[in-house]
Amino acid sequence: MIDPIEFFGNHIFRMVFFGTSVTGLVAGALGSFAYLRKQSLISDVIGHSALPGALLAFLIAVAVLDANGRNMLGLIAGAVITGTLAALFANSIAVRTKIAIDTAMAISLTVFFGAGMILLRIISNGPFPGKGGIDDYLFGNASVITVADLATSIAVGAVALVLMLVFWKEFTLRTFDPVFSTVLGFRAGVVDTVMFATIVIAIVIGVKAVGVVLMIAFVVTPPAAARQWTSTLPGLVALSGAFGAIGSGVGAYLSVALGNVPTGPLIVLTLFAVFLVSLLVSPRRSIITAALRRARAREALRRELLAETADR
Amino acid sequence: MSFVLGTSLLAVVTALACALPGAFVVLRKNSMLVEGVAHAVLPGIVVGYALTHDLNSPWLIIGAALAGLLVVLGNEWLIRTGLITGDAPQGLVFPALFAAGVIFITLDFSHVHLHTEVVLIGDLNLAAFHHLMVSGVSIGPRYLYVMLAVLAVNVAFIAVFYPKLKVTTFDNQFATVLGMRTGLLNTVFMFLVSVTIVTAFHAAGAILVISLIVVPAATAHLISHRLSVMLALTALFAILGAVGGFWIAYALNAATSASMAVFYGLVFIAVALIDRLATRVRRHRRSRVCQPAAGR
Repeated sequence: MIDPIEFFGNHIFRMVFFGTSVTGLVAGALGSFAYLRKQSLISDVIGHSALPGALLAFLIAVAVLDANGRNMLGLIAGAVITGTLAALFANSIAVRTKIAIDTAMAISLTVFFGAGMILLRIISNGPFPGKGGIDDYLFGNASVITVADLATSIAVGAVALVLMLVFWKEFTLRTFDPVFSTVLGFRAGVVDTVMFATIVIAIVIGVKAVGVVLMIAFVVTPPAAARQWTSTLPGLVALSGAFGAIGSGVGAYLSVALGNVPTGPLIVLTLFAVFLVSLLVSPRRSIITAALRRARAREALRRELLAETADR
Repeated sequence: MSFVLGTSLLAVVTALACALPGAFVVLRKNSMLVEGVAHAVLPGIVVGYALTHDLNSPWLIIGAALAGLLVVLGNEWLIRTGLITGDAPQGLVFPALFAAGVIFITLDFSHVHLHTEVVLIGDLNLAAFHHLMVSGVSIGPRYLYVMLAVLAVNVAFIAVFYPKLKVTTFDNQFATVLGMRTGLLNTVFMFLVSVTIVTAFHAAGAILVISLIVVPAATAHLISHRLSVMLALTALFAILGAVGGFWIAYALNAATSASMAVFYGLVFIAVALIDRLATRVRRHRRSRVCQPAAGR
């Protein structure tokens, strides 16, 4: 096992730790809104569809601009564009045809991901500089995060979080009472677009560190865990963000300590463990407290019925 | 049998085996659940390989299919607890199982040499590599016969349980009132889907196998109003997409499953647009017929 002082003394380990924690924090906090609006699975579509965008950004940067293909800002821009297109495509299938939203999401996801895999093959067959390890976008590779990447992730993530704070009232109203929100004069389309944009940003800043395939776990798991401990929206967003950040940090630390274990999957397992613990032992809503409550109610009813029969 | 013929036949048979149960997956609105199943079979495949050392072993197929079923049962259990909202239960279990599978592979736990790209999208050419020889003559890839067996099982299941599948798909409550064991039928059906996913895994991987299951059925659903018609059209679109995707991949030197996924998507979009156009023309013609009548 590696001790924390040695861990944080190492530049690469520091980058792995902070790179994944930022992803976990932003995705966890903003995932709360996707969770409450019951649209968690769209994050799977956006995550998978970020692949062709990230690869197109690489191709354009290398072949047209003659620049560094792994530039974080370009990657984020490309991933946001294709991720958004995929979500809009899924939505428009569900609205315009008789295909249900789950099938529409599956169609959109596979088409964009399939296109991404064709691009990946074109890049790895072609003479592009810096193409080595380009398939890291699939499962992420936190150890190649540079200081500039980290700064970009923090800046873009902060923009998303600030947007959330600025539009807090609108987001809350739209989430819990969409009809009332429209009656009060908030434009549903505008609020939805801003909320959706923050969620897309939260998903795509994780592409480099944890990859496109497992990104859904960062968006779905922390809110589901946090929801068992709190009943207020600020509490949910804060706790979910904290779970995301801490779970990612612990997972990153474990992956370094155990050696040769990929970071992204290990974080996913850590987050899942947090979720299971929350589901089992949280004091107010959990499987164990629910079972205890049921047993107590059953006992009380039994006693009542016995007392009644004794009275007669 | 030549390599190209064997591989394209394999593409067609795999597409058919996946697409037929897919018709019911689409109608039951289980597409994203099946996407989870496809991810979750990975740890089952890796552990199964460690025990059997044969990717086509029936034990591996059944074991990995049970791992996939964990997503279905876990989803039902999480919904029953009432503690998780919306569609989140479907997204909670499978990433953990898939992550475990990826970790198993990188730890070289079972010496199964699965490249990440193969895990995600499969490799049809590799799957078709080992040909079955009868007295020195190749009669096609060995894997083709495994897929043919799965196709036969799927067709037999749909044929035998057709009335029950139909009523549980369109009116589950009515089926329960009739005394059908809808939960059991659903679990058996999802297990069969999981078995199909595991066997198709080498050809299409964890992500693109969903395309083979969902997209032909969705395309057929766009233009059919009867279940029997939809099943026939699903088979037609599956074959069309497999052949088209295979030749695009051949021309582009790209992965077959990725080309098939994109081609299936294009066919879906084309059919959706043609259907809209046809509806508009029909409406226009009807209004033209009606107008003089109204004028009189």
